[in-house]
Amino acid sequence: MDPEATKTARESLDLAFHMSNLLDTGLDRHTLSVLIALCDLGLNPEALAAVVKELRREPTSPPPPPSPNAPSPAS
Amino acid sequence: MEDEDQQKTIDLIKELVHRLLSQNPKTPNPNPNPNPNPPDFDNSLRYAIRILSSKLAPSIAPDAAAVAESIKRRLATQGKSSQALSFADLYNKFASKTGPGSVNNKWAVLYLLKIISEDRKTARTGPGAALLLPNLGLGEPELSNGSRVPHGSKRGDKGWENGVLLVSKDPENLREIAFREFVNLVREENEVSEEVLVRDVLYACQGIDGKYVKFVANVDGYALLDTVNVPRATRIMIRKLCELGWLFRKVKEYISQSLDRFPTQDVGTVGQAFCAALQDELSEYYKLLAVLEAQSMNPIPMVSETASSPNYLSLRRLSVWFAEPMVKMRLMAVLVEKCKVLRGGAMAGAIHLHAQHGDPLVHEFMRSLLQRVCSPLFEMVRSWVLEGELEDIFSEFFIVSQPVKAESLWREGYRLHAGMLPSFISQSLAQRILRTGKSINFLRVCCDDRGWADTATEAAAAAGTTTRRGNLGYGETDALETLVDEAAKRIDKHLLDVIYTRYKFKEHCLAIKRYLLLGQGDFVQYLMDIVGPELSEPANTISSFQLAGLLESAIRSSNAQYDDPDILDRLRVKMMPHGSGDRGWDVFSLEYDARVPLDTVFTEAVMARYLRIFNFLWKLRRVEHALIGAWKTMKPNCVTSNSFTKLHGPVKLQLLSTLRRCQVLWDEMNHFVTNLQYYIMFEVLEVSWSNFSNELEAARDLDDLLAAHEKYLHSIVEKSLLGERSQPLYKSLFVLFDLILRFRSHADRLYEGIHELQSRTVTSSKSSHGRTQARRQKTDKSSESGLWVDDGRKALTQRAGEFLQNMGHELDALAKEFASLLEGFLSQLPVQQHIDLKFLLFRLDFTEFYSRSRPST
Repeated sequence: MDPEATKTARESLDLAFHMSNLLDTGLDRHTLSVLIALCDLGLNPEALAAVVKELRREPTSPPPPPSPNAPSPAS
Repeated sequence: MEDEDQQKTIDLIKELVHRLLSQNPKTPNPNPNPNPNPPDFDNSLRYAIRILSSKLAPSIAPDAAAVAESIKRRLATQGKSSQALSFADLYNKFASKTGPGSVNNKWAVLYLLKIISEDRKTARTGPGAALLLPNLGLGEPELSNGSRVPHGSKRGDKGWENGVLLVSKDPENLREIAFREFVNLVREENEVSEEVLVRDVLYACQGIDGKYVKFVANVDGYALLDTVNVPRATRIMIRKLCELGWLFRKVKEYISQSLDRFPTQDVGTVGQAFCAALQDELSEYYKLLAVLEAQSMNPIPMVSETASSPNYLSLRRLSVWFAEPMVKMRLMAVLVEKCKVLRGGAMAGAIHLHAQHGDPLVHEFMRSLLQRVCSPLFEMVRSWVLEGELEDIFSEFFIVSQPVKAESLWREGYRLHAGMLPSFISQSLAQRILRTGKSINFLRVCCDDRGWADTATEAAAAAGTTTRRGNLGYGETDALETLVDEAAKRIDKHLLDVIYTRYKFKEHCLAIKRYLLLGQGDFVQYLMDIVGPELSEPANTISSFQLAGLLESAIRSSNAQYDDPDILDRLRVKMMPHGSGDRGWDVFSLEYDARVPLDTVFTEAVMARYLRIFNFLWKLRRVEHALIGAWKTMKPNCVTSNSFTKLHGPVKLQLLSTLRRCQVLWDEMNHFVTNLQYYIMFEVLEVSWSNFSNELEAARDLDDLLAAHEKYLHSIVEKSLLGERSQPLYKSLFVLFDLILRFRSHADRLYEGIHELQSRTVTSSKSSHGRTQARRQKTDKSSESGLWVDDGRKALTQRAGEFLQNMGHELDALAKEFASLLEGFLSQLPVQQHIDLKFLLFRLDFTEFYSRSRPST
C-alpha cells in the first residue's frame, strides 16, 4: 500500500468515526474500522447492525451505560 | 479468491465480536459483567455468523445520498439542526474521498451507522428508560450541547445521576420549547400585544373606533392603523374580522335612519317591523359581544399553570366565534341594502327572495325575520278578507282602493298593486284576496247588507282561525290560503244569494230580454201598433211624455201587465239625441233602469250595447210590421179580382202582371225578413239566453256572473251582425231594410191607385156625380193618378195603362235593386267568422235558389 492510499483510508475512517459519533452509535474507532472492512467485503449492513445490536445488548440489560465510555481512546 | 475473502470475512467477524464483547466489562456500570470467557465468545461468534448469513441482501436500494439525506432530516426534526449541518459537512467530505484506500461501499457504511444509531435510541427510550423514570425522557446531555465531544459527557452524567428533572431538555418537549421561543419572538416583533388587538376588534365590531383599529373612510372599512407594526397575516386577519363591524355599521345606520329621521309614512308598518326584527337580532349580537369581551381577559384554563398562558381570545379564536354572526350580519346588511328604497309588500317580497337558501342556518334566520316582517301584511290580509277593512295607512298593501261611485265600485274601486305584492303570495291567491274583500265592500256599500259579518265569522271558524288579530304569519301560506278560500267561498256565496234573491238579478235579466230585446211578442206588437203613427212624425215634434203614455197602454193591453210592477216601473222610453231630418223611428228606444247594485252589471256601457241591439231589433220589427201591413192591402180578395173583370184586355193584362210582380217581390222580401228574424230570435237570442242561464247557475262569484253576462251580450252583438267585423254586412242590411220600407210605400201607392181606378170605373159608368168627387180627389192627391178624372173612359184606360206601366217600372227597379243587394248580402255572409251565420245563410238559401242563380247573374 502506498502512503497516499493509507492516508485516504485514515481520513475516511476519521470522517466515518465523526459521523458515527454524531449519530450517537456508541462504536469505537477500531470496531468501526472492522465494520467498514466487512461492509467493503459486501456484507449486508442490516445484518451487521443486527449483530452489533445483539451482541451489545446481550451482556447487560441497560445498554445506555456503554455510550459514555464508548470513545475510549484505546485504539 | 473466494476462499481468501471468506477467510478474511471470518477473521473480521471474529475481531468484531471480540471488540464488541470486550467493550462490556470496561463499562463503569455498577453491575460488572463477567462474560468475556471463551464459551461465551464462541456462542456469540456463532450467533453473529448466523445472523450475518441469514440476511444476505439489504432491504433498501443502495443510495448513499438518500441515506445521508434521511439521517440529516432525522437530526433536524429532533431539533439538532447544528448537528445536522455538521453531519452534512462530514458526509460531503466522506463522499469526496475516492480512489485507492477510500471506503468503497459508502452507502453501506452510512446505512450501518444509521441503523445502529436508531437501534440505540429505541433501546434507550425503551424498557430500560421506563424502568428508571417513567415520565421523563432520559437526560441526553450531548443533544443539548450540540456536539458529541467526549468531554461533554461529564455534565450529562452528572445531570442524569443526580436525578434532576430536565423537562425542557427532553426531546419530546423540544416542540414546546420551540413554540415558546416562537411566541417570544412574535412578542418582540409586535409592538402591540394580541390582547389589545382582540379588544380593539371587539370594539370595531360594535362600530366603535379602537386604539389601533379605526374606521378608515377611504377604504370604507375598519383597518389597523398603518403605523402599528404587526405582521401582514395579523393585519389581514383584523381586516377580515372587522368586516363584521362594517356590516354592523350599515345595519345600525339603516335602523336609526328608519326609526328616527325618516317620516313614518316613508317607512311604513312593514319597514318598522323589519327594523324591530333587525334590532332584536342586533341585541342578540350585543349579548355575544359582551360575553366575548368578558372572556377576552381570562387566560385559557390549562393543566400546566404556567404564567405564559395566553388570554382566552386570540384573533384566531375570535374568527371562529364570529363565523356565525358574520353570516347573519352579512345577510342583514344585504337585506338592508336591498330594502332601502322599498316599502310594504315589495319589501317583504324582496326579503322573501333571500329566504330561498339551502343553508339551514340562513333559512331559519330568514324565516324568523320574515315572520316578523310579514305580520303587518298578514294582518292587513286578514282584516281585508274578513272585515273588508283596508287598514293601510301607509299604502303598503297590495290592494289599493280608489274613491269611486257605487256603481263602479266593483270594477274600479279596488285593484291589485303589483309592485306591493310579495312573491310568496301567488297571483291567483292575490286575486282571490282582492275579490273577497271587494265582495264584502260591495255588500256593505251597494247592497246595504249586514249578513256578511256572520258569514265572515263562520268562514274564520271554518279555517281554524279566529277573527282576532295576529295569528297568521309568514310560512303559513297554507293557512292563509285556507282562510282566504273559506272566506271567499262563503262571502261569494252570500253575495250571489243577495244578488239573486234580494235583488232578483235573473228576473231583471229576463225582463231586459223580454222588453229591450223584444222577446215579449204581444207587447211589441201592441207597442208598434200604437206608437207607429206617432213615430212617423219628425223627431223634434214628438213628446216623450206622450210616448211614455203609449208605452204604458201597450203594457196594459199586453200580457206584460202581469209582470212584477217593480220591473215595469223600470221600463222607460228614451229619446235618443236627434238631428233635424230624423223621424221618430230613428230616435225612439226603450230603456231599462238598473238601480244599485245591479248597475254594477248593467253599466252604462252595457246599456248602450243593449240600446244598439234594441235599435236593430226595433228596426227589424218595423220592417216586418211594414211588410205585414203591405200584405194586408195586397191580399188578393174578391173585391179586387171582381173589379178587374170590367177592365179591357191589354190594361187588364198589364194590371195583372204588375200585381203579380208586386206579389213576387213582396214574397221575396218577406222570405228574407222572416228568416232573418227567425234567426235573430231563435238562434241568437234564445241560444245565448240559454247559455247565459246555465252559466248563471254555475257562477260562483260576482266576477263569474259579470263574465257570463259579458259573454251573453257579446254573443248577441256578434251574431246579430252588430260587431265590429260585420260592419259592412250590417250596413247592407240596413240598406235592404230601407228598400223594403220603400217598397211598402210603393205597394201602398199601387194599391191605392188600383182602388181608385176601380172606383173610377164604377163612378164614370154611373153618373157625373163622381166627377166632383174625383175632382176633390184630384186636389187632394198630387199623384199622377189623379189626372185621369175628366177624360172619359178612353182616357181613363190610357191613364190607367200609363200608371200601371210606371208602377211596373218602379217595381222592376226595386226588384232589381233588392236582388242585387240581397245577393251582395248573401255573398258577404260566408265571409263572416261566426259559425251561426252559416245557419242564417242556409235558412235564407234553403232551396239553393240564390246560390244557383248567382253564377248566372
